Amino acid sequence: MLKLISMVAAVIVWGLLSLTLPPEIFPGPIETARTLWGEVASGQVWTDLAMTMLRVVGGLVIALILGVPVGVLMGLSRRAEGVLDVWVMIGLTVPSLCYAIMAFMWFGLNEGAAIIAIAVTAAPSITINIWEGVKNVDTKLVAMARVFEASRPAIVRRVLMPQIFPYVMASARFGLGIIWKITVLVELIGRPNGVGFKLFYWYQLADMRQVLAWTLLFTIIMLMIELLILKPIERRIFAWRPQVAV
Amino acid sequence: MKSVIEVASLRKTFKGRDGSSRAVLKDLDLQVGAGEFLCILGPSGCGKSTLLNVLAGLDKVYEGRASVSGGRVGYLFQEPRLLPWMTAEGNLDFALDSCKVEPSRRGELKSRYLAMTGLSEYRDYYPHQISGGMAQRLALVRALCVEPGILLMDEPFSGLDEITARRIRSDLLTIWEETRKTIVFVTHNAYEACFLADRILVMLGGAFRQEIRVPIARPRSYDDPAVFELSRNVIKAFGDEIDREPVPSAIAASEPGLVDDLDRHAAARMNL
Repeated sequence: MLKLISMVAAVIVWGLLSLTLPPEIFPGPIETARTLWGEVASGQVWTDLAMTMLRVVGGLVIALILGVPVGVLMGLSRRAEGVLDVWVMIGLTVPSLCYAIMAFMWFGLNEGAAIIAIAVTAAPSITINIWEGVKNVDTKLVAMARVFEASRPAIVRRVLMPQIFPYVMASARFGLGIIWKITVLVELIGRPNGVGFKLFYWYQLADMRQVLAWTLLFTIIMLMIELLILKPIERRIFAWRPQVAV
Repeated sequence: MKSVIEVASLRKTFKGRDGSSRAVLKDLDLQVGAGEFLCILGPSGCGKSTLLNVLAGLDKVYEGRASVSGGRVGYLFQEPRLLPWMTAEGNLDFALDSCKVEPSRRGELKSRYLAMTGLSEYRDYYPHQISGGMAQRLALVRALCVEPGILLMDEPFSGLDEITARRIRSDLLTIWEETRKTIVFVTHNAYEACFLADRILVMLGGAFRQEIRVPIARPRSYDDPAVFELSRNVIKAFGDEIDREPVPSAIAASEPGLVDDLDRHAAARMNL
């Protein structure tokens, strides 16, 4: 309920602020919504949205494939941690724009290069999350499982994985947040379609109505993924967790 | 009586970071007969948990001989160590699966021990939904339902409030009298040892110092003056030992979790 009120309040503030500048430079919510509706009705948005989604999902999957095993390895082995921590930091420090430029220069202006750039940028953040998580694994439960003669695969599957899974879930979510932003950037510099491309296109035409309309669209899609997909999954998987009352 | 646990010249040394080494178990000899209830009584850091880890097969780095026969080993830890994402029954199934207990026997085993500990109603509860005492009883059920020949218990009731601990101790004795499993029970509580055991081994600084046979007839009552009398004598002898044998104050840094915290004043905890 409070969430809803705060959102309504934000729209009102936006409307009031937009009155201070001419509508071509700072359109209000109603005008933005009208522009957005026009775009949706014309059927133009779907290709761009679909391409962006493809890059986001592809990037996320590859980032998880790269980031999770490295994080698990670093959490389990002190030697791996010693060697890899500096590389994770380097990976984290290099700006995403550099990855995007390198990928496009080396692999060409294609979909693969875009997804690689997105995945490589997000992977270090995912690694850090998983690494911390694995370090928190309760070894006492592992000792318990060993006493009960559980096999190695069974310990991994039934004792370790359930402990690591919340961190994978958190980093997927966290990674998604980063990946949206990188994708837009990558589209801006090297793709002929997608939300980022559109934003840049309308920026070049100095059409702020369209820029805000696309930003709004993007935000709505993002919220829907969070509320309709991630939250319910999390609620189902972590049903066993106690409610925290503060 | 046939021995099911045989330990001979068992030595275990922990190496510190600075290269110094400290003997945690010093040439231990131990024999435990089938169906015996043995308590190992000693202060924190005396090496009793380390000994139990060796017997359970969790710790394989030692010198000397330690053999356990007479069936599977069940283990009850100081904390319940339940898997929090599984229900009570799920936790039992995990142990039954791991130990490959025949599926046809599982239902009966679970029902039997859940009933014995008064947990029949709680099969579908998650560990965070039940009290600490119930969680520890569930851990006891888990240890029992894999049908161990030998039950190792590492201060299993020391984290519970006294009233709950008392009830579970009585439950444990009832179950033991019915099943006659061999039990090695580690504790720093002299009263608990005197109430439960056939035989008590007092352990200090990695060695057994004293063997006490408990002459009290079974079934025992928790408030039996004989238990009180015996525990008082044990504490007296034990306290004297502590004074003569200063407990080292440094803990082996390389192996955390295997050694209890060393506590110079552990003797104080012996008081009830």
